[in-house]
Amino acid sequence: MTIQIDNETISYKDKPILDNISLSIHEGEKVALLGKSGSGKSTLLKRLYELHPQNCSYIPQELGLVNSLSVFHNVYISNLDKYSTFYNIRNLIKPAQKQIDIIHPILDELYMSDLIFKKCGELSGGQKQRTAIARAILQENKILLADEPISALDEFVTKKVLKSMVNTFDTIICALHNVDVALEYYDRVIGIKDGKIVLDKKCEDITTSDTQELYHVCDDQF
Amino acid sequence: MFAMTSSKNLNVTLLFLFVFVLAAFNADFTITTLDPIHELKSFFGGIFEIELSKTPTYFDAILNTISIAIIAIFISSILGFIFALYFKYTLLRTSLAFMRAIHELFWALLFLQIFGLNTMTALLAIIIPYSATLGKVYAEILEEYDVFPKELELKNSSKVSTFLYTKLPDAMPHLISYTFYRFECALKSTAILGFVGLTTLGYYLQGSFMQGFYGEVWLILIIFYLIIATLKYWFTKYSAPFLLLASFLYVDGFGGFNLENLIRFVTYDIIPSPMKKEQGFYELYVWFENIFLNELMVGIVNTIVLTQLALIITALIALFSFPLISKKFVNKSSIFGGNIILVILRSTPEYILAYLFLQIWGPSMLPAVVALSLHNGAIIGHIMGNQSNELVLRPDVTTKKIELYSFEVIPRIYGSFLAFLFYRWEVIMRESAILGILGIHTLGFFVDSAIADIRLDKVVILLLFTALLNILVDYISRRVRAYLRINTTVKSSCDII
Repeated sequence: MTIQIDNETISYKDKPILDNISLSIHEGEKVALLGKSGSGKSTLLKRLYELHPQNCSYIPQELGLVNSLSVFHNVYISNLDKYSTFYNIRNLIKPAQKQIDIIHPILDELYMSDLIFKKCGELSGGQKQRTAIARAILQENKILLADEPISALDEFVTKKVLKSMVNTFDTIICALHNVDVALEYYDRVIGIKDGKIVLDKKCEDITTSDTQELYHVCDDQF
Repeated sequence: MFAMTSSKNLNVTLLFLFVFVLAAFNADFTITTLDPIHELKSFFGGIFEIELSKTPTYFDAILNTISIAIIAIFISSILGFIFALYFKYTLLRTSLAFMRAIHELFWALLFLQIFGLNTMTALLAIIIPYSATLGKVYAEILEEYDVFPKELELKNSSKVSTFLYTKLPDAMPHLISYTFYRFECALKSTAILGFVGLTTLGYYLQGSFMQGFYGEVWLILIIFYLIIATLKYWFTKYSAPFLLLASFLYVDGFGGFNLENLIRFVTYDIIPSPMKKEQGFYELYVWFENIFLNELMVGIVNTIVLTQLALIITALIALFSFPLISKKFVNKSSIFGGNIILVILRSTPEYILAYLFLQIWGPSMLPAVVALSLHNGAIIGHIMGNQSNELVLRPDVTTKKIELYSFEVIPRIYGSFLAFLFYRWEVIMRESAILGILGIHTLGFFVDSAIADIRLDKVVILLLFTALLNILVDYISRRVRAYLRINTTVKSSCDII
């Protein structure tokens, strides 16, 4: 299946956030959206999710975690529709071993398994991001739409997390502002500036001047 | 911007001062007791007549007060939670506004007619207004902490699961802590129910007052302060389930619920008497006109007069008392003393203060205004004192106290002072109405007389207007706060809402 939008324009208070954007992403592609904050990446991702809510996992920039619940419960949230209300309540009061066995390996991949019963409110920014990623992984969708999901991770963990994301999801569209990470782990990069696509290329076709252009697009000082 | 807000503050202040002057001309402040100084002396002399050995006499009343308060807050919190879930329905919101607007003592007087003097009456009197208040505040808390992104909600998961996993957890600690705050209020309210004959602490307090046994009065008051002051040590989330169970075992059953009486009350007692006699519309009109002109108007005017007088004097007491507990103005030992005075005035329900001053001065506006203002002034003064302590002023600020007060501190906290005052306005009005039971001609006086005459149809009309008056004040208060842009939520203390 292909994700496609044609001539999409979204405005807020008469100012266009997305300015006449057309885009087509094929199954299996790993796409990085690059751009500085306010460029329209988040709006684009949210719009793509609205068009395909059924088979996409979505990680918004604010993550949408429930701070008073444990990491386990926050991940389990994406399975609420698979079980009965009764089972959900029972699992809220005392986590079922069966569910722990499902969620533990996912967290282990992200170096989070020792924090499984810690409350999300007590986690660091990077740990919160990995919890949200685990929640997205548990949903078992083919497509991942993620908005700056690794901005607070250190280099070592970033690599590990990116690998498990790439292994789990068939298609990924991920907003980033780190050009090097994008070029190393993704197949295609899309540079966005002021709601317009300024560059859209496969990583293998990127030239040095393209890279310079991308650095420019992502630099908050310009 | 600041100049604009402060001129709005000035407008509102001047308007309320004007109303205060009007009210003052219409109020009766005569002292009717023959020798008020003597009464005052013997009251304070009572401190030296305390007999601690009498404490066991009150064990039953203490346990009864605590048990009823615990059961009432438990049931109120369950009902309040259910109300909060359906708070978006206008009919429910309106009903809750009425339940809140009528004071627990009025509810008690009403249920006394139906179920008699028993636990059932006491519980209902607390549960009805408290569940309504909890419902409103719970709804606000749930809304405030409903931050889970809507787009992440799963379409096929049940509403219950989504609520329990994504909405409730973050709100829960706040719901619980507000309920605990509210328990302190419930304890005070339950004690006060004794004044209409239910066997809680207030019952013994009134008895000792009437006989002039001031030593006993002091002993009961001290027991009461100790219960309130130690609350956070014995009523915790760990002890609460055991205390709840013990309370259910302690209270004298729930006998007294009489369905026949309830049906008679709803279908006969409260029907206007001309309708009972199957008279025409004209008689009904005359019946209402009589109540309206002779009782409602007098009651409403006096309630408003008392409220507005008490509101302004509350403001003055708060403004003058907060420096007593502020390290910007006085030293540590003065703060200690100031705190003791404010804590005592805050913890003593206005009804008990009014009862005390009434013994000294006789029934007029005077004891009521003094009681309401001291209690509420101490509450607001306490909050302002804490706020002024938190202010960070530049190092070279003036050392002259008056200049510090008027140029640095007051301009910074005047807005929130007005906010607290207007939050308190509705409470003061509810209390003003109820103080009528003590003989001042506010609405409570006429309610009490109508109950004594067993004219329940009239009672219902009077209570209806009492509630409407309260809802009106609540509405004006919200509008004024919106005008002043001071509509901050204050949920940290049961004292405020």
